Amino acid sequence: MSAVFKFENWRAAEPAPPSAEMVHKALIQLERVTKTYDSGENAVQALAGIDLKIDRGEFVSIIGPSGSGKSTLMHILGCLDSPSEGRYWLDGEDVAAMSGKSLARIRNQKLGFVFQTFNLLPRATVWKNVELPLLYAGIDGDERKQRALEALDRVGLKNRAKHRPNELSGGQRQRVAIARALVNTPSLLLADEPTGNLDQKTGNDIIKLFEELAANNQTIILVTHDPGIAARTYRRVRIVDGLIDDGDEFE
Amino acid sequence: MLILEAIIDGIRDIKDHFGRTLLQLFGIILGAGSIVATFSLSVAGKEASMKFYRLSGGIERIWIGDKETGKITLDAKALASKGLTYSDAVAIRKEAKEIDLVSPVSEQGMVVRYGTIEKSRSIMGVTPAYSPISFFKVEHGRFITDQDLTSAARVVVLGTTRAQEFFGSENPVGKTMTINGSGYLVVGVMEEKYFSFDQKRNALRWMNRFIYIPITTMMTRNGQPLQQGKISFMHARMKDIDRHKEAVAEIERILFRQHGVKDYQVFSRVANLARNESENKMYDVTFMICGIISLLVGGIVIMNIQLASFNERVREIGTRKAVGATPMQIFFQMLTESVIVSVLGGILGIFAGKFFTQGISMLTRNPAIITPGVIMNALIFAAGTGLIFGMYPAIRASRLNPIEALRTE
Repeated sequence: MSAVFKFENWRAAEPAPPSAEMVHKALIQLERVTKTYDSGENAVQALAGIDLKIDRGEFVSIIGPSGSGKSTLMHILGCLDSPSEGRYWLDGEDVAAMSGKSLARIRNQKLGFVFQTFNLLPRATVWKNVELPLLYAGIDGDERKQRALEALDRVGLKNRAKHRPNELSGGQRQRVAIARALVNTPSLLLADEPTGNLDQKTGNDIIKLFEELAANNQTIILVTHDPGIAARTYRRVRIVDGLIDDGDEFE
Repeated sequence: MLILEAIIDGIRDIKDHFGRTLLQLFGIILGAGSIVATFSLSVAGKEASMKFYRLSGGIERIWIGDKETGKITLDAKALASKGLTYSDAVAIRKEAKEIDLVSPVSEQGMVVRYGTIEKSRSIMGVTPAYSPISFFKVEHGRFITDQDLTSAARVVVLGTTRAQEFFGSENPVGKTMTINGSGYLVVGVMEEKYFSFDQKRNALRWMNRFIYIPITTMMTRNGQPLQQGKISFMHARMKDIDRHKEAVAEIERILFRQHGVKDYQVFSRVANLARNESENKMYDVTFMICGIISLLVGGIVIMNIQLASFNERVREIGTRKAVGATPMQIFFQMLTESVIVSVLGGILGIFAGKFFTQGISMLTRNPAIITPGVIMNALIFAAGTGLIFGMYPAIRASRLNPIEALRTE
């Protein structure tokens, strides 16, 4: 019997578990990640098996048509959702099987979110909005205030700290949201269509801000459908039908 | 830290949604208010009736009086019954182990005169035991003594109203007044008894209208031998109020042996008090149920409005979760808001309760006391309502899926 049919060889066809060194080195390591919604007869497979590695300091865009699964990927990367199958290491931690409480801690300490619709608390001041992640981290008032002010300074809105979100322009609101995402010095900044609700000039300013952050070694993943924005990131990951389209990754 | 922040947030929320908070508050205010009213009226009522009992002769007192045998009878003993006599009092005093004082009283209308004032008044023939058994002391001079009793002395002690009536501003002690044609030396004037349930009428004014002479004097005047002397009623004091049933039974046993027929009746004030208390308890329970129903309604309003505001704030909760709030933190934050509203309602409810209490107190002329205990009760009930009814909205919020929450428009 030829060696090809040996059981050991079948096993060898599967990917080996990542070495400790790999896990440690990469900030993000996804392996055969799938996500199936509504398991049963109407099951929809949003992600069909994603392998993805992102190192520290990378500025990556995730692109793809709507319904491609990029939002689902974004949610899993952001620890808002767990994969159905596969493994996900974030900053050395295996987060795929974590409980809701542990995921909340990961979001609180390692992640910063920027949303298309800003999602600021309308009744809280800019300052309070930026403080929010630190509040849930249990950091006390004076330090919270100090760090929130520093984060606002980084996005150029220190002088707006005491305003409420509805007193700010769209671009300013998104900057506040970025300050909030940065306040806990996250390992990873995740932005979901951050310019989707902004005019072109303002959107351009926001992307410039991301570029500055990336230049300072902040790891950023940016979900967008705008090829012009994607072109400004260091690396593009195209999702089609729940899989990474490798052809586009190294254009 | 988070709790403090949640409290600040909660207060801001109340400010921002004043209208709907007002609705939430209303039920709690009414509930806490009626609890305050119930407790304060009931506490005050109990205190007042205890005080009344104490001032009018203590709860250790047993009253023993005549009773019609009721049916037309040919029974020799019943026909021979002449009711309570002085010797019954002596028998009880000697034999009853549960009793330490006996005070027989013989009451009779007589013509009383001093100077130009002449009135027909009720006179009480008493023994020295009357004063301690009734918690009723002499203010000026002295009360009837054992010596007065043995010598059947013609001495008289006046209640304040009577002293005033016959002597005006004069000091009656040492003066002589005429009772049924004979001269009596005034040896004492009683203290004034005063107690009011409504701050208006003296509920003990009847006690100030007595005129006392030694019971032996009264019987000698009537030409009765003392031992067979008819008495109107007697008081007996029990040693231990916890054994009031035994004391009553013992007296009844002695009297039945003396009379051979049940021509007497015996009431203990402890039993009276217990009866009153069980009546009061019914009012308490009724009021209490009203209060609890109001709180339930308030709780349901809180729950409803928390749920409505929860729907309004799904995105906000989603955002909080996205930045790392754990389900537990969200749960406590939402619950804190409910509790703040209900405690605020409780505080306002105390003022409402004060208002209710004064209203009821004025209408019914019942006294009311708002004690710290009453206030604590109202606050605890109110906070409990917020806690219980805030639970469901808080659990829902804590279980919210952040992705769906952020997708909500």
